Amino acid sequence: MNRLLSVTIYAASILVGIATFAYPFVLAPNAEMVDQQTLAPLLTMVLLLLCLAVLLIEVQGQTINARMVAALGVLVSITAVLRFIETAVPAPGGFSPIFAPLILAGYVFGARFGFLMGVLTLLVSALITGGVGPWLPYQMFVAGWVGLTAGWLPRLQRPRLELGLLLLFGVVWGLLFGFIINLYSWPFLMGPAATSWQPDAGWQEGASRYLAYYAATSLLWDLVRSLGNVALLLLLGTPAIRALTRFRQRFEFQVVA
Amino acid sequence: MKARHTQAWIVWLVAAAVLALSTRNPLYLILLLLLARLVAVVCGRQDAGFSLPLLKLGLVIMSFATLLNALFVPIGSVILFTLPDWPLIGGAVTLEAAVYGAINGLVLWTLLVIFAAINQIVPTADLVRLTPRALRDLGVVILIAVTYVPETIQQVQRIREAQAIRGNRLTHWRDWRSVLTPLLIGGLERAMVLAEAMVARGYGATADTEQPWQVRLLLLLALGLSFGGWVWSFWVGWPGWVLLVLGLLLVAVWLWQAGHQVKVTRYRPQPWTKWDVGLIGTAVIPLLFLFLPWFDRSSLFYTPYPSLTIPPLDLLFAVALLCLAYPAIIVVRSS
Repeated sequence: MNRLLSVTIYAASILVGIATFAYPFVLAPNAEMVDQQTLAPLLTMVLLLLCLAVLLIEVQGQTINARMVAALGVLVSITAVLRFIETAVPAPGGFSPIFAPLILAGYVFGARFGFLMGVLTLLVSALITGGVGPWLPYQMFVAGWVGLTAGWLPRLQRPRLELGLLLLFGVVWGLLFGFIINLYSWPFLMGPAATSWQPDAGWQEGASRYLAYYAATSLLWDLVRSLGNVALLLLLGTPAIRALTRFRQRFEFQVVA
Repeated sequence: MKARHTQAWIVWLVAAAVLALSTRNPLYLILLLLLARLVAVVCGRQDAGFSLPLLKLGLVIMSFATLLNALFVPIGSVILFTLPDWPLIGGAVTLEAAVYGAINGLVLWTLLVIFAAINQIVPTADLVRLTPRALRDLGVVILIAVTYVPETIQQVQRIREAQAIRGNRLTHWRDWRSVLTPLLIGGLERAMVLAEAMVARGYGATADTEQPWQVRLLLLLALGLSFGGWVWSFWVGWPGWVLLVLGLLLVAVWLWQAGHQVKVTRYRPQPWTKWDVGLIGTAVIPLLFLFLPWFDRSSLFYTPYPSLTIPPLDLLFAVALLCLAYPAIIVVRSS
Protein backbone atom coordinates (compact mmCIF):
# COMPACT_ATOMS: atom_id res chain seq x y z
CA MET A 1 0.00 0.00 0.00
CA ASN A 2 2.68 2.46 1.07
CA ARG A 3 4.90 1.49 -1.79
CA LEU A 4 2.06 1.89 -4.27
CA LEU A 5 1.23 5.34 -2.90
CA SER A 6 4.85 6.36 -3.08
CA VAL A 7 5.20 5.27 -6.70
CA THR A 8 1.91 7.01 -7.56
CA ILE A 9 3.09 10.29 -6.01
CA TYR A 10 6.41 10.15 -7.85
CA ALA A 11 4.71 9.32 -11.15
CA ALA A 12 1.96 11.92 -10.72
CA SER A 13 4.38 14.69 -9.84
CA ILE A 14 6.63 13.88 -12.77
CA LEU A 15 3.66 13.82 -15.16
CA VAL A 16 2.30 17.10 -13.83
CA GLY A 17 5.81 18.55 -14.08
CA ILE A 18 6.07 17.53 -17.72
CA ALA A 19 2.64 19.02 -18.38
CA THR A 20 3.66 22.36 -16.86
CA PHE A 21 6.61 22.53 -19.20
CA ALA A 22 4.87 21.25 -22.31
CA TYR A 23 1.62 23.19 -22.08
CA PRO A 24 2.50 25.72 -24.81
CA PHE A 25 2.34 22.86 -27.32
CA VAL A 26 -1.18 21.80 -26.56
CA LEU A 27 -2.84 24.89 -25.17
CA ALA A 28 -6.07 25.65 -26.99
CA PRO A 29 -7.98 28.16 -24.89
CA ASN A 30 -11.35 29.54 -25.85
CA ALA A 31 -11.56 32.95 -27.44
CA GLU A 32 -12.99 34.92 -24.53
CA MET A 33 -9.99 34.27 -22.34
CA VAL A 34 -7.43 36.66 -23.72
CA ASP A 35 -6.54 37.88 -20.25
CA GLN A 36 -6.42 34.29 -19.08
CA GLN A 37 -3.59 33.74 -21.53
CA THR A 38 -1.59 36.47 -19.86
CA LEU A 39 -2.19 34.66 -16.62
CA ALA A 40 -1.19 31.27 -18.06
CA PRO A 41 2.46 31.45 -16.91
CA LEU A 42 1.32 32.57 -13.48
CA LEU A 43 -1.15 29.70 -13.03
CA THR A 44 1.44 27.28 -14.32
CA MET A 45 4.03 28.49 -11.84
CA VAL A 46 1.55 27.99 -8.98
CA LEU A 47 0.94 24.42 -10.13
CA LEU A 48 4.67 23.76 -10.47
CA LEU A 49 5.36 25.04 -6.94
CA LEU A 50 2.60 22.83 -5.58
CA CYS A 51 4.00 19.84 -7.44
CA LEU A 52 7.46 20.53 -6.04
CA ALA A 53 6.08 20.84 -2.51
CA VAL A 54 4.20 17.53 -2.72
CA LEU A 55 7.26 15.72 -4.05
CA LEU A 56 9.49 17.28 -1.37
CA ILE A 57 7.08 16.20 1.39
CA GLU A 58 7.04 12.68 0.01
CA VAL A 59 10.83 12.52 -0.39
CA GLN A 60 11.50 13.96 3.04
CA GLY A 61 8.85 11.73 4.58
CA GLN A 62 10.99 8.65 4.28
CA THR A 63 13.62 7.68 6.75
CA ILE A 64 16.15 10.41 7.12
CA ASN A 65 19.16 10.43 9.40
CA ALA A 66 21.58 12.93 10.78
CA ARG A 67 24.48 11.73 8.63
CA MET A 68 22.47 11.99 5.43
CA VAL A 69 21.34 15.49 6.40
CA ALA A 70 24.91 16.55 7.12
CA ALA A 71 26.29 14.95 3.95
CA LEU A 72 23.57 16.52 1.83
CA GLY A 73 24.23 19.92 3.38
CA VAL A 74 27.96 19.77 2.81
CA LEU A 75 27.68 18.44 -0.74
CA VAL A 76 25.14 21.13 -1.63
CA SER A 77 27.49 23.70 -0.16
CA ILE A 78 30.46 22.48 -2.23
CA THR A 79 28.41 22.42 -5.43
CA ALA A 80 26.96 25.86 -4.72
CA VAL A 81 30.49 27.22 -4.26
CA LEU A 82 31.43 25.73 -7.63
CA ARG A 83 28.46 27.56 -9.11
CA PHE A 84 29.55 30.73 -7.34
CA ILE A 85 32.81 30.49 -9.26
CA GLU A 86 30.74 30.10 -12.42
CA THR A 87 28.86 33.38 -11.89
CA ALA A 88 31.96 35.26 -10.75
CA VAL A 89 34.19 34.14 -13.62
CA PRO A 90 32.34 34.22 -16.92
CA ALA A 91 32.79 30.74 -18.35
CA PRO A 92 32.09 30.11 -22.03
CA GLY A 93 28.50 29.45 -23.05
CA GLY A 94 26.17 27.45 -20.89
CA PHE A 95 28.94 25.72 -18.97
CA SER A 96 27.86 25.02 -15.43
CA PRO A 97 29.86 22.99 -12.92
CA ILE A 98 26.82 21.86 -10.94
CA PHE A 99 25.79 18.95 -13.12
CA ALA A 100 28.79 16.65 -12.67
CA PRO A 101 28.58 16.57 -8.84
CA LEU A 102 24.81 16.19 -9.09
CA ILE A 103 25.05 13.23 -11.44
CA LEU A 104 27.76 11.56 -9.37
CA ALA A 105 25.92 11.99 -6.07
CA GLY A 106 22.64 10.81 -7.54
CA TYR A 107 24.34 7.82 -9.10
CA VAL A 108 26.06 6.69 -5.89
CA PHE A 109 23.53 7.72 -3.21
CA GLY A 110 20.36 6.98 -5.15
CA ALA A 111 17.43 8.77 -6.74
CA ARG A 112 16.00 10.34 -3.60
CA PHE A 113 19.32 11.87 -2.54
CA GLY A 114 19.96 13.00 -6.11
CA PHE A 115 16.58 14.71 -6.34
CA LEU A 116 17.05 16.55 -3.06
CA MET A 117 20.56 17.56 -4.00
CA GLY A 118 19.42 18.94 -7.35
CA VAL A 119 16.60 20.95 -5.86
CA LEU A 120 18.59 22.28 -2.91
CA THR A 121 21.76 23.07 -4.87
CA LEU A 122 19.88 25.40 -7.16
CA LEU A 123 18.02 26.96 -4.23
CA VAL A 124 21.14 27.54 -2.12
CA SER A 125 23.25 28.88 -4.95
CA ALA A 126 20.42 31.26 -5.87
CA LEU A 127 20.28 32.39 -2.24
CA ILE A 128 23.99 33.10 -1.97
CA THR A 129 24.41 34.76 -5.36
CA GLY A 130 21.20 36.79 -5.18
CA GLY A 131 19.67 34.88 -8.08
CA VAL A 132 16.23 34.24 -6.66
CA GLY A 133 13.67 34.83 -9.38
CA PRO A 134 10.62 33.44 -11.13
CA TRP A 135 12.86 31.02 -13.05
CA LEU A 136 14.06 29.40 -9.82
CA PRO A 137 11.24 26.82 -9.33
CA TYR A 138 11.72 25.61 -12.90
CA GLN A 139 15.48 25.27 -12.50
CA MET A 140 15.04 23.50 -9.16
CA PHE A 141 12.60 21.05 -10.62
CA VAL A 142 14.70 20.15 -13.66
CA ALA A 143 17.91 19.89 -11.63
CA GLY A 144 15.97 17.59 -9.31
CA TRP A 145 15.13 15.43 -12.31
CA VAL A 146 18.81 15.24 -13.24
CA GLY A 147 19.68 13.85 -9.81
CA LEU A 148 16.60 11.63 -9.72
CA THR A 149 17.31 9.97 -13.06
CA ALA A 150 20.99 9.59 -12.21
CA GLY A 151 19.87 7.40 -9.33
CA TRP A 152 17.96 5.19 -11.75
CA LEU A 153 21.03 4.34 -13.82
CA PRO A 154 22.07 0.68 -13.66
CA ARG A 155 25.08 -0.16 -11.49
CA LEU A 156 27.85 -1.37 -13.77
CA GLN A 157 30.74 -3.36 -12.38
CA ARG A 158 33.42 -2.35 -14.87
CA PRO A 159 34.75 1.16 -14.05
CA ARG A 160 35.37 2.08 -17.69
CA LEU A 161 31.85 1.20 -18.74
CA GLU A 162 30.49 3.00 -15.70
CA LEU A 163 32.32 6.21 -16.57
CA GLY A 164 31.20 5.89 -20.19
CA LEU A 165 27.58 5.62 -19.10
CA LEU A 166 27.88 8.69 -16.89
CA LEU A 167 29.55 10.67 -19.69
CA LEU A 168 26.69 9.83 -22.04
CA PHE A 169 24.23 10.78 -19.32
CA GLY A 170 26.03 14.10 -18.85
CA VAL A 171 25.86 14.89 -22.56
CA VAL A 172 22.16 14.04 -22.78
CA TRP A 173 21.20 16.09 -19.73
CA GLY A 174 23.40 18.99 -20.79
CA LEU A 175 21.25 19.36 -23.90
CA LEU A 176 17.96 18.33 -22.30
CA PHE A 177 18.30 20.82 -19.45
CA GLY A 178 18.45 23.73 -21.87
CA PHE A 179 15.66 22.26 -23.97
CA ILE A 180 13.30 21.99 -21.00
CA ILE A 181 14.27 25.25 -19.29
CA ASN A 182 13.80 27.24 -22.49
CA LEU A 183 10.23 25.98 -22.69
CA TYR A 184 9.54 28.07 -19.63
CA SER A 185 10.79 31.33 -21.09
CA TRP A 186 9.38 30.67 -24.54
CA PRO A 187 5.82 31.87 -23.96
CA PHE A 188 7.25 34.79 -21.95
CA LEU A 189 9.59 35.96 -24.66
CA MET A 190 7.23 35.35 -27.51
CA GLY A 191 4.16 36.60 -25.74
CA PRO A 192 0.77 35.03 -25.68
CA ALA A 193 -1.12 36.44 -28.63
CA ALA A 194 -0.67 35.97 -32.35
CA THR A 195 3.04 35.24 -32.18
CA SER A 196 5.24 32.28 -32.79
CA TRP A 197 3.88 30.72 -29.63
CA GLN A 198 0.51 30.25 -31.17
CA PRO A 199 -1.78 28.67 -28.66
CA ASP A 200 -4.12 27.19 -31.22
CA ALA A 201 -1.49 26.13 -33.70
CA GLY A 202 -1.64 22.43 -32.86
CA TRP A 203 1.28 20.61 -31.32
CA GLN A 204 3.17 19.71 -34.51
CA GLU A 205 3.23 23.33 -35.58
CA GLY A 206 4.20 24.39 -32.07
CA ALA A 207 6.91 21.74 -31.83
CA SER A 208 8.54 22.71 -35.13
CA ARG A 209 8.45 26.36 -34.15
CA TYR A 210 10.00 25.55 -30.82
CA LEU A 211 12.72 23.45 -32.44
CA ALA A 212 13.62 26.35 -34.71
CA TYR A 213 13.65 28.70 -31.73
CA TYR A 214 15.78 26.29 -29.73
CA ALA A 215 18.27 25.66 -32.53
CA ALA A 216 18.61 29.37 -33.20
CA THR A 217 19.00 30.59 -29.64
CA SER A 218 20.20 27.86 -27.36
CA LEU A 219 21.70 24.82 -29.08
CA LEU A 220 25.26 26.10 -29.18
CA TRP A 221 25.04 27.27 -25.60
CA ASP A 222 23.82 23.84 -24.47
CA LEU A 223 26.51 22.02 -26.43
CA VAL A 224 29.11 23.89 -24.40
CA ARG A 225 27.33 22.76 -21.24
CA SER A 226 27.41 19.15 -22.45
CA LEU A 227 31.12 19.38 -23.20
CA GLY A 228 31.70 20.94 -19.79
CA ASN A 229 29.89 18.02 -18.17
CA VAL A 230 32.08 15.56 -20.06
CA ALA A 231 35.25 17.39 -19.03
CA LEU A 232 34.26 17.56 -15.37
CA LEU A 233 33.09 13.96 -15.26
CA LEU A 234 36.34 12.81 -16.88
CA LEU A 235 38.24 14.84 -14.34
CA LEU A 236 36.27 13.88 -11.25
CA GLY A 237 34.31 10.76 -12.14
CA THR A 238 36.51 7.88 -11.04
CA PRO A 239 37.92 9.34 -7.80
CA ALA A 240 34.57 10.83 -6.81
CA ILE A 241 32.68 7.56 -7.29
CA ARG A 242 35.31 5.79 -5.19
CA ALA A 243 35.11 8.37 -2.39
CA LEU A 244 31.31 8.59 -2.39
CA THR A 245 30.90 4.81 -2.37
CA ARG A 246 33.22 4.50 0.60
CA PHE A 247 31.27 7.11 2.53
CA ARG A 248 27.91 5.67 1.54
CA GLN A 249 28.59 2.64 3.71
CA ARG A 250 29.37 4.89 6.64
CA PHE A 251 26.31 7.07 6.14
CA GLU A 252 23.62 4.46 5.89
CA PHE A 253 21.41 3.35 8.70
CA GLN A 254 18.72 0.77 8.63
CA VAL A 255 15.81 1.05 11.01
CA VAL A 256 15.09 -2.45 12.32
CA ALA A 257 11.54 -2.55 13.56
CA MET B 1 12.06 53.36 10.82
CA LYS B 2 12.05 50.41 8.53
CA ALA B 3 9.83 47.46 7.73
CA ARG B 4 11.78 44.34 8.58
CA HIS B 5 9.56 41.32 8.71
CA THR B 6 10.47 38.83 6.00
CA GLN B 7 6.91 37.70 5.42
CA ALA B 8 5.77 41.29 4.90
CA TRP B 9 8.46 41.70 2.23
CA ILE B 10 7.34 38.46 0.60
CA VAL B 11 3.81 39.89 0.29
CA TRP B 12 5.32 42.97 -1.39
CA LEU B 13 7.31 40.72 -3.73
CA VAL B 14 4.31 38.59 -4.70
CA ALA B 15 2.15 41.67 -5.28
CA ALA B 16 4.76 43.34 -7.50
CA ALA B 17 5.50 40.15 -9.45
CA VAL B 18 1.82 39.36 -10.02
CA LEU B 19 1.24 42.91 -11.26
CA ALA B 20 4.23 42.71 -13.61
CA LEU B 21 3.00 39.39 -14.98
CA SER B 22 -0.58 40.48 -15.52
CA THR B 23 -0.08 43.63 -17.55
CA ARG B 24 1.42 44.25 -20.96
CA ASN B 25 0.99 47.98 -20.85
CA PRO B 26 4.51 49.46 -21.13
CA LEU B 27 3.57 52.54 -19.07
CA TYR B 28 2.62 50.45 -16.04
CA LEU B 29 5.65 48.21 -16.53
CA ILE B 30 8.07 51.14 -16.58
CA LEU B 31 6.38 52.57 -13.50
CA LEU B 32 6.72 49.21 -11.70
CA LEU B 33 10.36 48.90 -12.72
CA LEU B 34 11.23 52.36 -11.43
CA LEU B 35 9.35 51.78 -8.18
CA ALA B 36 11.11 48.46 -7.55
CA ARG B 37 14.49 50.03 -8.22
CA LEU B 38 13.68 52.96 -5.92
CA VAL B 39 12.69 50.60 -3.09
CA ALA B 40 15.84 48.51 -3.63
CA VAL B 41 18.14 51.52 -3.53
CA VAL B 42 16.49 53.10 -0.49
CA CYS B 43 15.80 49.99 1.62
CA GLY B 44 18.60 47.68 0.43
CA ARG B 45 21.51 46.68 2.59
CA GLN B 46 24.75 48.49 1.87
CA ASP B 47 26.76 45.28 2.28
CA ALA B 48 24.63 43.18 -0.04
CA GLY B 49 27.83 42.05 -1.76
CA PHE B 50 27.09 40.29 -5.01
CA SER B 51 24.70 42.23 -7.21
CA LEU B 52 23.55 41.79 -10.78
CA PRO B 53 24.40 44.36 -13.48
CA LEU B 54 20.71 45.18 -13.89
CA LEU B 55 20.97 47.86 -16.56
CA LYS B 56 23.21 45.81 -18.81
CA LEU B 57 21.14 42.66 -18.34
CA GLY B 58 17.94 44.56 -19.02
CA LEU B 59 19.25 46.03 -22.26
CA VAL B 60 20.42 42.59 -23.42
CA ILE B 61 17.05 41.03 -22.60
CA MET B 62 15.10 43.83 -24.31
CA SER B 63 17.13 43.80 -27.51
CA PHE B 64 17.07 40.00 -27.64
CA ALA B 65 13.29 39.88 -27.21
CA THR B 66 12.74 42.68 -29.76
CA LEU B 67 14.90 41.00 -32.37
CA LEU B 68 13.35 37.61 -31.77
CA ASN B 69 9.75 38.72 -32.08
CA ALA B 70 10.43 40.99 -35.05
CA LEU B 71 12.10 38.15 -36.97
CA PHE B 72 9.62 35.42 -36.08
CA VAL B 73 6.34 37.30 -36.45
CA PRO B 74 5.34 38.82 -39.80
CA ILE B 75 2.15 40.44 -38.45
CA GLY B 76 1.48 44.18 -38.34
CA SER B 77 0.76 47.09 -40.63
CA VAL B 78 3.97 49.17 -40.68
CA ILE B 79 6.55 47.14 -42.58
CA LEU B 80 10.14 48.14 -41.82
CA PHE B 81 11.81 45.88 -44.38
CA THR B 82 11.22 42.49 -45.95
CA LEU B 83 13.39 39.41 -45.65
CA PRO B 84 13.33 36.45 -48.04
CA ASP B 85 10.83 33.77 -47.04
CA TRP B 86 12.85 31.35 -44.97
CA PRO B 87 10.84 28.77 -43.10
CA LEU B 88 9.48 30.13 -39.79
CA ILE B 89 11.54 33.32 -39.75
CA GLY B 90 11.63 35.83 -42.55
CA GLY B 91 8.94 37.66 -44.44
CA ALA B 92 7.93 41.12 -43.41
CA VAL B 93 9.61 42.65 -40.37
CA THR B 94 7.08 45.00 -38.83
CA LEU B 95 7.26 47.79 -36.31
CA GLU B 96 4.38 46.29 -34.33
CA ALA B 97 6.14 42.96 -33.89
CA ALA B 98 9.30 44.75 -32.73
CA VAL B 99 7.32 46.77 -30.20
CA TYR B 100 5.56 43.66 -28.99
CA GLY B 101 8.92 41.95 -28.51
CA ALA B 102 10.25 44.94 -26.62
CA ILE B 103 7.25 44.78 -24.26
CA ASN B 104 7.94 41.08 -23.65
CA GLY B 105 11.52 41.98 -22.78
CA LEU B 106 10.29 44.74 -20.51
CA VAL B 107 8.15 42.25 -18.56
CA LEU B 108 11.18 40.05 -17.96
CA TRP B 109 13.37 43.02 -17.03
CA THR B 110 10.77 44.28 -14.55
CA LEU B 111 10.57 40.85 -12.93
CA LEU B 112 14.34 40.75 -12.70
CA VAL B 113 14.47 44.14 -10.98
CA ILE B 114 11.69 43.19 -8.55
CA PHE B 115 13.42 39.99 -7.48
CA ALA B 116 16.78 41.73 -7.32
CA ALA B 117 15.21 44.21 -4.90
CA ILE B 118 14.17 41.40 -2.55
CA ASN B 119 17.62 39.81 -2.83
CA GLN B 120 19.13 43.11 -1.84
CA ILE B 121 16.75 43.90 1.01
CA VAL B 122 16.14 40.60 2.82
CA PRO B 123 19.24 38.87 4.29
CA THR B 124 19.90 35.30 3.16
CA ALA B 125 19.46 33.90 6.68
CA ASP B 126 15.97 35.38 6.83
CA LEU B 127 15.05 33.82 3.50
CA VAL B 128 16.16 30.41 4.79
CA ARG B 129 13.78 30.85 7.72
CA LEU B 130 10.85 30.78 5.33
CA THR B 131 11.20 26.99 4.94
CA PRO B 132 7.90 25.54 6.18
CA ARG B 133 8.25 23.98 9.60
CA ALA B 134 6.82 20.70 8.32
CA LEU B 135 9.87 20.45 6.04
CA ARG B 136 12.27 21.16 8.90
CA ASP B 137 14.84 18.55 7.87
CA LEU B 138 15.22 20.23 4.51
CA GLY B 139 15.49 23.52 6.36
CA VAL B 140 18.40 22.08 8.32
CA VAL B 141 20.09 20.97 5.08
CA ILE B 142 19.71 24.44 3.58
CA LEU B 143 21.03 26.03 6.75
CA ILE B 144 24.07 23.73 6.81
CA ALA B 145 24.75 24.43 3.14
CA VAL B 146 24.51 28.20 3.49
CA THR B 147 26.58 28.21 6.69
CA TYR B 148 29.34 26.08 5.18
CA VAL B 149 29.79 28.23 2.07
CA PRO B 150 32.47 30.55 3.52
CA GLU B 151 34.26 27.59 5.04
CA THR B 152 34.20 25.72 1.72
CA ILE B 153 35.75 28.72 -0.01
CA GLN B 154 38.50 28.81 2.64
CA GLN B 155 38.98 25.09 2.16
CA VAL B 156 39.54 25.61 -1.58
CA GLN B 157 42.16 28.25 -0.84
CA ARG B 158 43.89 26.02 1.71
CA ILE B 159 44.08 23.11 -0.72
CA ARG B 160 45.40 25.38 -3.47
CA GLU B 161 48.12 26.65 -1.13
CA ALA B 162 49.02 23.11 -0.14
CA GLN B 163 49.29 22.18 -3.82
CA ALA B 164 51.35 25.27 -4.55
CA ILE B 165 53.83 24.28 -1.82
CA ARG B 166 54.15 20.93 -3.56
CA GLY B 167 54.98 22.74 -6.79
CA ASN B 168 51.62 22.16 -8.48
CA ARG B 169 50.85 25.33 -10.43
CA LEU B 170 47.38 24.31 -11.62
CA THR B 171 48.09 25.39 -15.15
CA HIS B 172 46.52 22.46 -16.95
CA TRP B 173 42.82 21.77 -16.40
CA ARG B 174 43.70 18.24 -15.35
CA ASP B 175 45.62 19.63 -12.38
CA TRP B 176 42.33 20.72 -10.82
CA ARG B 177 41.66 17.11 -9.93
CA SER B 178 44.18 17.54 -7.12
CA VAL B 179 42.04 20.37 -5.72
CA LEU B 180 38.56 18.98 -6.28
CA THR B 181 39.14 15.46 -4.95
CA PRO B 182 40.51 16.57 -1.56
CA LEU B 183 37.71 19.13 -1.39
CA LEU B 184 35.12 16.38 -1.83
CA ILE B 185 36.73 13.93 0.60
CA GLY B 186 37.42 16.65 3.16
CA GLY B 187 33.82 17.83 2.86
CA LEU B 188 32.42 14.34 3.44
CA GLU B 189 34.76 13.92 6.40
CA ARG B 190 33.44 17.20 7.83
CA ALA B 191 29.92 15.97 7.28
CA MET B 192 30.67 12.95 9.46
CA VAL B 193 31.97 15.19 12.25
CA LEU B 194 29.00 17.50 11.89
CA ALA B 195 26.57 14.58 12.07
CA GLU B 196 28.19 13.31 15.26
CA ALA B 197 27.93 16.80 16.72
CA MET B 198 24.28 17.06 15.74
CA VAL B 199 23.42 13.69 17.28
CA ALA B 200 25.34 14.61 20.44
CA ARG B 201 23.19 17.72 20.73
CA GLY B 202 19.95 15.84 20.41
CA TYR B 203 19.22 15.69 16.69
CA GLY B 204 17.84 12.23 15.99
CA ALA B 205 20.50 9.82 14.76
CA THR B 206 17.77 8.28 12.68
CA ALA B 207 14.18 9.36 12.53
CA ASP B 208 11.32 7.59 10.88
CA THR B 209 9.36 10.52 9.57
CA GLU B 210 7.25 8.66 7.08
CA GLN B 211 3.87 10.26 6.57
CA PRO B 212 0.81 8.09 7.26
CA TRP B 213 -0.99 6.95 4.13
CA GLN B 214 -3.96 9.25 4.78
CA VAL B 215 -1.71 12.29 4.51
CA ARG B 216 -0.10 11.06 1.32
CA LEU B 217 -3.49 10.32 -0.17
CA LEU B 218 -4.54 13.85 0.74
CA LEU B 219 -1.47 15.31 -0.96
CA LEU B 220 -2.09 13.20 -4.04
CA LEU B 221 -5.68 14.40 -4.06
CA ALA B 222 -4.54 18.02 -3.77
CA LEU B 223 -2.14 17.57 -6.66
CA GLY B 224 -4.84 15.95 -8.80
CA LEU B 225 -7.33 18.65 -7.88
CA SER B 226 -5.09 21.52 -8.81
CA PHE B 227 -3.89 19.81 -11.98
CA GLY B 228 -7.51 19.33 -12.99
CA GLY B 229 -8.20 22.95 -12.16
CA TRP B 230 -5.23 24.11 -14.19
CA VAL B 231 -6.33 22.11 -17.24
CA TRP B 232 -9.88 23.30 -16.75
CA SER B 233 -8.95 26.97 -16.58
CA PHE B 234 -7.16 26.69 -19.93
CA TRP B 235 -9.74 24.74 -21.85
CA VAL B 236 -13.08 25.48 -20.30
CA GLY B 237 -13.09 28.57 -18.18
CA TRP B 238 -13.38 30.24 -14.87
CA PRO B 239 -14.22 27.55 -12.30
CA GLY B 240 -10.81 26.07 -13.03
CA TRP B 241 -8.78 28.41 -10.92
CA VAL B 242 -11.09 27.78 -7.97
CA LEU B 243 -10.02 24.12 -8.05
CA LEU B 244 -6.40 25.19 -8.37
CA VAL B 245 -6.68 27.43 -5.33
CA LEU B 246 -8.50 24.66 -3.46
CA GLY B 247 -5.64 22.23 -4.09
CA LEU B 248 -3.16 24.88 -3.03
CA LEU B 249 -5.10 25.58 0.16
CA LEU B 250 -5.22 21.87 0.97
CA VAL B 251 -1.43 21.61 0.85
CA ALA B 252 -0.93 24.93 2.64
CA VAL B 253 -3.30 23.98 5.47
CA TRP B 254 -1.61 20.61 5.86
CA LEU B 255 1.84 22.22 5.92
CA TRP B 256 0.66 24.70 8.54
CA GLN B 257 -1.03 22.05 10.65
CA ALA B 258 1.86 19.58 10.44
CA GLY B 259 4.25 22.41 11.22
CA HIS B 260 2.44 23.17 14.44
CA GLN B 261 2.86 19.62 15.66
CA VAL B 262 6.62 20.01 15.86
CA LYS B 263 8.17 22.25 18.43
CA VAL B 264 11.09 24.33 17.21
CA THR B 265 13.04 27.12 18.78
CA ARG B 266 13.59 30.41 17.05
CA TYR B 267 16.71 32.45 17.47
CA ARG B 268 16.30 36.24 17.34
CA PRO B 269 12.56 36.41 16.70
CA GLN B 270 11.32 39.09 14.33
CA PRO B 271 8.61 41.24 15.89
CA TRP B 272 5.72 42.51 13.77
CA THR B 273 5.71 46.29 13.74
CA LYS B 274 3.16 48.76 12.41
CA TRP B 275 5.52 49.35 9.49
CA ASP B 276 5.21 45.70 8.47
CA VAL B 277 1.43 45.89 8.64
CA GLY B 278 1.60 49.05 6.52
CA LEU B 279 3.83 47.29 4.01
CA ILE B 280 1.35 44.46 3.57
CA GLY B 281 -1.62 46.83 3.40
CA THR B 282 -0.12 49.05 0.72
CA ALA B 283 1.10 46.07 -1.32
CA VAL B 284 -2.40 44.63 -1.44
CA ILE B 285 -4.07 47.86 -2.70
CA PRO B 286 -2.99 47.60 -6.37
CA LEU B 287 -3.90 43.90 -6.34
CA LEU B 288 -7.49 44.83 -5.52
CA PHE B 289 -7.73 46.47 -8.92
CA LEU B 290 -6.69 43.22 -10.48
CA PHE B 291 -9.10 40.93 -8.70
CA LEU B 292 -12.17 42.97 -7.70
CA PRO B 293 -14.74 43.00 -10.49
CA TRP B 294 -15.83 46.66 -10.36
CA PHE B 295 -12.67 48.24 -11.69
CA ASP B 296 -12.01 48.83 -15.35
CA ARG B 297 -9.07 46.62 -16.25
CA SER B 298 -9.01 47.22 -20.00
CA SER B 299 -5.93 49.47 -19.77
CA LEU B 300 -3.91 46.47 -18.53
CA PHE B 301 -4.27 44.49 -21.72
CA TYR B 302 -2.48 46.69 -24.20
CA THR B 303 -1.37 45.20 -27.49
CA PRO B 304 0.38 46.93 -30.42
CA TYR B 305 -1.41 44.70 -32.94
CA PRO B 306 -2.87 45.26 -35.50
CA SER B 307 -1.44 48.79 -35.63
CA LEU B 308 0.50 50.81 -33.10
CA THR B 309 -1.49 52.99 -30.68
CA ILE B 310 -0.53 55.01 -27.63
CA PRO B 311 -0.98 52.81 -24.54
CA PRO B 312 -3.92 53.90 -22.38
CA LEU B 313 -3.25 55.13 -18.86
CA ASP B 314 -5.74 54.69 -16.05
CA LEU B 315 -4.74 57.33 -13.50
CA LEU B 316 -6.48 55.56 -10.62
CA PHE B 317 -4.51 52.38 -11.28
CA ALA B 318 -1.24 54.29 -11.65
CA VAL B 319 -1.83 55.89 -8.25
CA ALA B 320 -2.60 52.46 -6.80
CA LEU B 321 0.73 51.22 -8.18
CA LEU B 322 2.51 54.07 -6.40
CA CYS B 323 1.49 52.43 -3.10
CA LEU B 324 4.30 49.93 -3.72
CA ALA B 325 6.78 52.71 -2.94
CA TYR B 326 5.57 52.83 0.69
CA PRO B 327 8.67 51.11 2.20
CA ALA B 328 10.95 53.63 0.49
CA ILE B 329 8.83 56.56 1.66
CA ILE B 330 8.90 55.58 5.33
CA VAL B 331 12.68 55.14 5.24
CA VAL B 332 13.22 58.54 3.62
CA ARG B 333 10.78 60.27 6.00
CA SER B 334 12.38 58.85 9.14
CA SER B 335 15.95 59.78 8.23
